[in-house]
Amino acid sequence: MTPSVLVERVNHHFGAGESRNQVLFDNSFEVAPGEFVVMTGPSGSGKTTLLSLIGALRSVQDGLVEVLGRSLAGLPAAELVAMRRNIGFIFQMHNLFDALTAYENVKMAMQLGGCPRSEMAERGHRMLERVGLGERADYRPRALSGGQRQRVAVARALVNRPRLVLADEPTAALDKESSGIVVGLLKDLAVEDRCTIMMVTHDSRIVRIADRIITLVDGVVTSNVALREALVICEFLKSIELFHGLSAVEITHLAERMTKRRYAKGEVVVRQGDPGDEFFLVGAGRAAAYVAHPGEAESQAALFSSGDFFGEVALMGGGVRNATVRALENLETYVLGRGDFRAALDLNAAFNDQIIRAYFQRH
Amino acid sequence: MAKVLPRSLPVPARLSSRRTDRAERPVPLARRLLLAHPGRLARSISGIAFAILLMMVELGFRDGFIDSMLLPIRALDADVVLLSDGKYQFDRPAPLSRRFLYEAEAVSGVASVRPLYAARTGALWKNPQDRRRFIVQVFAFDPDAPVFALPAVTANLAALRLPDTVLVDRRARDFLGTAENGTRTELAGRRVRVASTFSLGPDFFTDGTVLMGDRTFLTFFAATAAGEAAPPGPVAPVPGLADVEAGIVKAAPGRSPEALRRALRAALPKGVDVLTKPQLLAREAAFHASVSPVGPVFGAGTLVGFVVGMLIAYQTLFSDVSDQLPQYATMKAMGYASPRLAAVVLRQAALYAAVAYGPAWILCALLFRLVSDVALMPVQMSLSLTLITAALTLAMCLAAALVALRRLFSADPAELFR
Repeated sequence: MTPSVLVERVNHHFGAGESRNQVLFDNSFEVAPGEFVVMTGPSGSGKTTLLSLIGALRSVQDGLVEVLGRSLAGLPAAELVAMRRNIGFIFQMHNLFDALTAYENVKMAMQLGGCPRSEMAERGHRMLERVGLGERADYRPRALSGGQRQRVAVARALVNRPRLVLADEPTAALDKESSGIVVGLLKDLAVEDRCTIMMVTHDSRIVRIADRIITLVDGVVTSNVALREALVICEFLKSIELFHGLSAVEITHLAERMTKRRYAKGEVVVRQGDPGDEFFLVGAGRAAAYVAHPGEAESQAALFSSGDFFGEVALMGGGVRNATVRALENLETYVLGRGDFRAALDLNAAFNDQIIRAYFQRH
Repeated sequence: MAKVLPRSLPVPARLSSRRTDRAERPVPLARRLLLAHPGRLARSISGIAFAILLMMVELGFRDGFIDSMLLPIRALDADVVLLSDGKYQFDRPAPLSRRFLYEAEAVSGVASVRPLYAARTGALWKNPQDRRRFIVQVFAFDPDAPVFALPAVTANLAALRLPDTVLVDRRARDFLGTAENGTRTELAGRRVRVASTFSLGPDFFTDGTVLMGDRTFLTFFAATAAGEAAPPGPVAPVPGLADVEAGIVKAAPGRSPEALRRALRAALPKGVDVLTKPQLLAREAAFHASVSPVGPVFGAGTLVGFVVGMLIAYQTLFSDVSDQLPQYATMKAMGYASPRLAAVVLRQAALYAAVAYGPAWILCALLFRLVSDVALMPVQMSLSLTLITAALTLAMCLAAALVALRRLFSADPAELFR
């Protein structure tokens, strides 16, 4: 599946000559369609620069930035402008024209999006209704509250049904209720239209609903965590007796070290007699362990499903695999290497919140 | 978290139809931005209208000046005019030998060639009421060969055959006094009787015009022209008028003035300028518009108005763009190309021009009416003046917008991510 956003080995500088200053260092990550990504990090860490590169607002200097399947590197200014029409932008300030009504502000976006004129009114008003401003379509921004104005800006960004929305602190100036509406709307859009949302924010409330958190520190992506996935892994790890002694922070570190690995139905995950150097946690699908005794037919010894694990015996004992594990259907596993597994064992806590906080406060 | 409203809500029929109507047209952003701040709009419009008024007044006065200088020429009953080639301006004396008129008469297609005499030096007119003296412009001709197509003149040709009898311009400036049939006063130190009046009007150099027969003219001015005092006493014979100011040529029926001009040009020596009446009018207008100091002075005034208006319009548009800079940057981020946004600013400039032009036009028309009544200047809001000033106003505002666009182009959408 083509990622919505692909960033590979991206560097970026500001200035020239002696005042040339590098702000992004060799960053790589990708974002899948429909993901709700939160970018966070301290001020000056480069997250807005990265967002502006993805939004085709700056030219890519070094590395690859691919947005919606199209590389932005080397694109002339006119094509960057055209590319931006596929992206919805939401800024910290609503930047609405005070001289226009809420509907007209939204219509300004529709005039770009190739929406037939006959459909503009219907689509524009439906979008305003969707953000809760259907009755205020004819209001000027000055007559709206801060939250309502930002919702108009959201409607303007979303009315052309973009496949990617870039938002920079969209809730920074909003109260809790307005913030909830704006974020909820964005989340709905991500789910229903498989629209990718990338949002720079310091609002910990938003982090709860993110699918992925990308953290930048000093121009470097220091953490790129698929949050939902990580939460699932953490839940699984927490339930494993081996790791009962670990704190939430340690569990998150451990989960972060696990890599996802998929197996097709019938594929061998581990083979009896092979060296045991990895620990497996089943995320989704089913697998079975088969033991073969000399001169006898292979027999099923165990069945694994979501949340089950295997491979720990060989790791703990330092021996070889005592069974062969095969995928009974498409299997998704999280794999931990020997070193990390041993470290976790050597280390010998309302769980979700601690983990979320741990991820969010990592920088 | 607050609940997000449902995706689709029914649209009331009344609202729906209204929406459809409104959606037919693009958002009139330029007009809305213009009307967003009525107070500021009023101030901007006042400033721009003042500059437009300045341009209108300058150009109107220039046109009025030129028009007034053309009044005597317009009044001539001529198809072609013969002048000395040293006569660079119609009201400047440059005598032409009468013999050229005789030569012209021999050219095929000429119906008549009539002499026109003129005098300004020594033409002191005594106000019949307060006895003060002022210089006037005097034209003279043979009453049997009239040269002016003025009905009041044609009706009083017989009176001009009488000695010391004149016709007086009733549109002359007030300080020349009131003259009517039978009024007696003095011209060039001699007693004259006013037989009647006609309507012509003063110009920038002349406060009034007096017409007389050639015999009277000879008596009054022939010697003066030779640098001597005009001899008092009986009228001298007309043949003494060896020089004329202009030869007024009428074409024979069916002969075009231009063809006649070419024929006369070919027949007459270099020292004679041969012009059709429209050519003379054009040459005279061009002289005053560009050669005489008066035209350039008004041109400079117009330029000042243009520059002042441009500065005001620039200041206004610069402020407008600056106020909306984050919005314009957002539009750029959304995918609006700079030329499309520039078109908004240019449209705004054109609207400023259109809105300011109306009040300026009305004010100027009122001012011209006042000036025309008080100063007897032929100034008016003519169609050409309207079109020229409208074009200048548009150019002024668009030029200001082009400069103000630098501000728009400086809007960087990347700066919106902070």
